Amino acid sequence: MLKKSLKVFAKQAASLLALTSAGVSLRRLLLVTAMTSLSVFTLTGCETKELQGVLLTQPSASETAQAQHKWVRSCALCHVNGEGGAPKVGDAAAWQPRLEQGGDVLLAHTLQGLNRMPPLGYCMDCSESDFRILIDFMSRGAQ
Amino acid sequence: MSITRRKLLASSLLAAAFNPLGKTLAAGADVAHSSAPWHNWSGYLQSNPAQRFAPKSEQELADFMKGNAGGVRPVGAGHSFSPLVPTNDALVVLDNLSGVVAYDDASTTAVLRAGTRLSDSGPMLDQIGQAMINLPDIDRQTIGGAIATSTHGTGLGLGSLSAYVTSVRLVTPEGRVIDANRNDNPEIYQAARTNLGALGVLTEVGFQNRKPFKLKSMAWVEKTNTVIESFAERCLEYEHYEFMPFLHADFSLVIAHKETDGALKPPVPEEDQGDIFGVLSNLPVFARRPVINFLVEAIEPSEAVEASYLALTNIRNDRFNEMEYSVAVEDGLACVREILDTVTKLGIDALIPLEYRVIEKDDSWLSMFSGSAKASISIHRMAGYDYKPYFDVIEPIFWKYGGRPHWGKVHSLGYDELSNLYPHLDDFIEVQTELDPSGKMLNQHIAKILNRNV
Repeated sequence: MLKKSLKVFAKQAASLLALTSAGVSLRRLLLVTAMTSLSVFTLTGCETKELQGVLLTQPSASETAQAQHKWVRSCALCHVNGEGGAPKVGDAAAWQPRLEQGGDVLLAHTLQGLNRMPPLGYCMDCSESDFRILIDFMSRGAQ
Repeated sequence: MSITRRKLLASSLLAAAFNPLGKTLAAGADVAHSSAPWHNWSGYLQSNPAQRFAPKSEQELADFMKGNAGGVRPVGAGHSFSPLVPTNDALVVLDNLSGVVAYDDASTTAVLRAGTRLSDSGPMLDQIGQAMINLPDIDRQTIGGAIATSTHGTGLGLGSLSAYVTSVRLVTPEGRVIDANRNDNPEIYQAARTNLGALGVLTEVGFQNRKPFKLKSMAWVEKTNTVIESFAERCLEYEHYEFMPFLHADFSLVIAHKETDGALKPPVPEEDQGDIFGVLSNLPVFARRPVINFLVEAIEPSEAVEASYLALTNIRNDRFNEMEYSVAVEDGLACVREILDTVTKLGIDALIPLEYRVIEKDDSWLSMFSGSAKASISIHRMAGYDYKPYFDVIEPIFWKYGGRPHWGKVHSLGYDELSNLYPHLDDFIEVQTELDPSGKMLNQHIAKILNRNV
């Protein structure tokens, strides 16, 4: 867990360098990586979870309209262009592994934030129900 | 009001996916009740608002403020690291109040709704032939939130966003709508330009802007000693200039912007730089210097030419907590050296570089730059890690240099200390108390700053 956290930490910290739009020499990186690669390497289990739906109930037209409005001014900030590795709206391949974790997990990640995703995804007035509608939309938007 | 490319794409996707029959759906009321806590951007702060209210008009907001007897805290993008926002009463979200209200070509001024995100304000202003004079580096903030904390960029002779505020319109805690500028309600104007979200809820902000301009952005890595020695000279050479000294290293990242009439040159897309800091964090602190030096020296210089609003702002994807103090310009470089030496001497396990910027003075009452130009110095710790051991060691260094804390960033000061640093704090408290006699806009943190009871 600690090593996993460190890796997350590392990716985040590296972003300050990314402000330069410059690259670090791959050779140098590999050199240093080789120095500590054994300690960084972690084993992760591979577990396939049963696909779960995100929506608990079918949203009404009014609920959908509210979510539509909120999506444009919040989620779209990152999920249209894929900022920070955000899965793009309608990108089924990108959403699939996330959906496999189940709707409750996706909702929890949205509420609490995960890696580069800020808590609440810039939607300060979204309810859990709104978030379920929005996740459902983004994960199937290209259909 | 302009529509950005992102919003256009977003709207067309919505039309197809949310609403396949092509019917127009009216949005319902925007009072949300959620059992999920509110968190700030870094995730460190949280609270459980009883309701989250997102008015669609100023009138809706005024009615709400009038009818709501409990506490109210407005929120922008949630980018403040100090607990200005947390409330268990009503959270007011301004995201629906966005866009350009009015503008004037002759004076190059424009009025923006307070919920407008900085990332949207650039294209909006560009469309009316204007650009903000300076901008901070995070683009997700709202105008209202940015003004509340005197959010700033960098540059000799360039002030914070609050410095360029020409007018404000606010809904008071009792539901009155007040316009303020240098001539009308001048005391409310001076208080509202850096307001901590404590006077009521801002709905509109007027800005002194300038004609659109392009910036050549340059970034490079250089020895910290050289950067410090050449700082004054470089500030004259580049309109916007800052540096970020790496911890446990001898180098800094330098970021400079210079105005240009040259052809646009988009930035080179970023490469995936791998898990550099993951590797570094596995190294003992005492062993990091040669490795960090070795890595950062290899960062290649970069250049781009873009519209000012694109060049100056970034999407800050990776989350952290931050402390920032502003000290006298003449003390800034000594202060940053002392922080770097302390981090090294104590072996503080932190990796994110410091950030050093300069900001021109303004006359807004609570701005960190009220009355004199300052150098701002920031320290950061990644979200999810306890920042206190690091920040607690560095904060007294800022105090030693007479630093003023950034209102939206971590600090531990209350009224007694702040009233010595901000000569107009009592003036602000007088206006705040007059507008909010019952203390609707106070949470514990703001009450501590203003020496009022919640």
